[in-house]
Amino acid sequence: MIEAQGLTKRYGSKTAVDGMTFTVQPGKVTGFLGPNGAGKSTTMRMVVGLDRPTAGTVTVNGRRYAEHRAPLQEVGALLDAKAVHTGRTAQNHLLAMAATHGIGRRRVDEVIEMTGLGPVARKRVGGFSLGMGQRLGIASAMLGDPATLILDEPVNGLDPEGVLWVRNLVKYLAGQGRTVFLSSHLMSEMAVTADHVVVVGRGRLLADAPVQEIVGLAAGTTVRVRSPQASALEELLRRQGLAVTSTELGLLEVTGGTAPAIGDAAAAAGIALHELTPVHGSLEDAYLQLTADDVEFHADPSAAGRPALAAAGAPEPTLSSGATAPTTEGALR
Amino acid sequence: MTTLAPTVPGTASARPGRTTVHPVTFPRVVAAEWIKFRTVRSTVWTILVTVVAMVGINTLIAWGMSMAPAEAQGGPGTTSVVTLLSSGVTMAQLVVAVLGVLTVTTEYTTGMVRSSFAAVPRRLPTLAAKAIVLAAVTLVVSLVSMALSYVTTLPFHDALGATLDLSDGETLRMALGLPLYLVAVALLGLGFGALLRSSAGAIATVVGLLLVVENVFMLVPLRLFEVVSPFLPATAGARIMYDETMLTMIDTMSEGAVLTPWQGYGVMVAWVVVLLGAAAVLLRRRDA
Repeated sequence: MIEAQGLTKRYGSKTAVDGMTFTVQPGKVTGFLGPNGAGKSTTMRMVVGLDRPTAGTVTVNGRRYAEHRAPLQEVGALLDAKAVHTGRTAQNHLLAMAATHGIGRRRVDEVIEMTGLGPVARKRVGGFSLGMGQRLGIASAMLGDPATLILDEPVNGLDPEGVLWVRNLVKYLAGQGRTVFLSSHLMSEMAVTADHVVVVGRGRLLADAPVQEIVGLAAGTTVRVRSPQASALEELLRRQGLAVTSTELGLLEVTGGTAPAIGDAAAAAGIALHELTPVHGSLEDAYLQLTADDVEFHADPSAAGRPALAAAGAPEPTLSSGATAPTTEGALR
Repeated sequence: MTTLAPTVPGTASARPGRTTVHPVTFPRVVAAEWIKFRTVRSTVWTILVTVVAMVGINTLIAWGMSMAPAEAQGGPGTTSVVTLLSSGVTMAQLVVAVLGVLTVTTEYTTGMVRSSFAAVPRRLPTLAAKAIVLAAVTLVVSLVSMALSYVTTLPFHDALGATLDLSDGETLRMALGLPLYLVAVALLGLGFGALLRSSAGAIATVVGLLLVVENVFMLVPLRLFEVVSPFLPATAGARIMYDETMLTMIDTMSEGAVLTPWQGYGVMVAWVVVLLGAAAVLLRRRDA
């Protein structure tokens, strides 16, 4: 269980983390989602006491991390795959970490085995690939058999098999009743791994809700319509105040209306429809909506590849602390 | 919060509850630091270089002295073997200082420090454990180097009229002084390393201090320099390794305060304490 209260971190005039309050519950995988530079890593570093909060507090299992007598038993953290001396072997790195908590060699061998590091355990870490580095980071995190796991971008650099392994591992660990807090900027990964998501942008909390609820935000906002009279339909829908885009001849993407409403409108005007499909929102859509205004480093919007959002006249993402309020319910009635 | 669960196939796993984890204690942190120290090649090399430098230089200088005409040697029976064992110290202190710096700075340059402080979030035990491991290693390395040097300079003892009498107060003080001095130099390196967190910066600082700054202060006849010079760490600390003849020679050249050998060493220890103290305060405050 991780509890953050008004957690704030400023570097000079730049606020990296701005008054974040959230709770990470045991027994489920909580995703920590946000664009690069949103303050995810800083927040995680504050949880394990590597960075001092400018204001606010964060506790793990009821206490500040540094106050635990055996911190590695409380929290296992993978914060930076390269938080290892490059000149030391993986095994010696783990043995040194283990020694601080009187953890035996058997457990070291166990986590090496578990993370598939066996063949390279006696090699120096400097020569490791990013994926091997991640595995070593996860091995260190598991060393103390911790009740809480904090993993910062754990699938970075892993091959598909490794990604699958991490996914299964975190679900399994959460299933045992442990707290798992997992950051990523990959929505696709979050969508299949996390039960609950904390979304941040520019250091602020944007949402803290179950994955399904977050996905629900984006669902039903776009409807795909195919019609032989597409241009007539487009004009009709535009007159009703809906946003319409067309990516190919005869195919319209309508935002702001529901499928039944669009179908009724078309029928009333005598326009034939060949397809009428509500496009299910994905976590990605929801995430992009939430963080639309909070991306630290904006790419050229035309190159960003999110036409649905651009046309959405995006609902202001004003939800926080689980108070979801989708405002784009059928403008067409 | 940890619940018992059977091993899950495929994840070859976890097995919560069956791993014995103990609280962090200082001896455990020392044990961890010792593992860290000996499992990196650079420290092993540095130690070998220290031994080779000390023994080699001691031997060469003893040989050179034995070649010199008898009257230049100050007469038979006046040399203590201990002086023969400390000729290499000027070289060895640089290596040892670098070792001290690297013990802590490589943690920062590699990112290891984040793992270290995640395991020991109170941080200070880690610094203290590093100091203890470093001091112990330096002590042993110095003693081994002295013992080896004793053997390698043995052929020249008679020619130089050198004797070893550890019951003599001065001889004993010099014999203890060499390892003590090197330990202090290593800790000085550790202190600068912990303060500056950069290998290049800290090495430049400590080597610059030992080789350049202290010599400039000693040689340039400015009043300020003359007053300060005796209290610079190496200038003060090295007195513990010198015999009376050497001390008198230094003091006739110096215009500043005259410290006894142990006072001098005390001044050096004070430098170490202040540096490590400052490092400790910053260690607690700074983000890792």
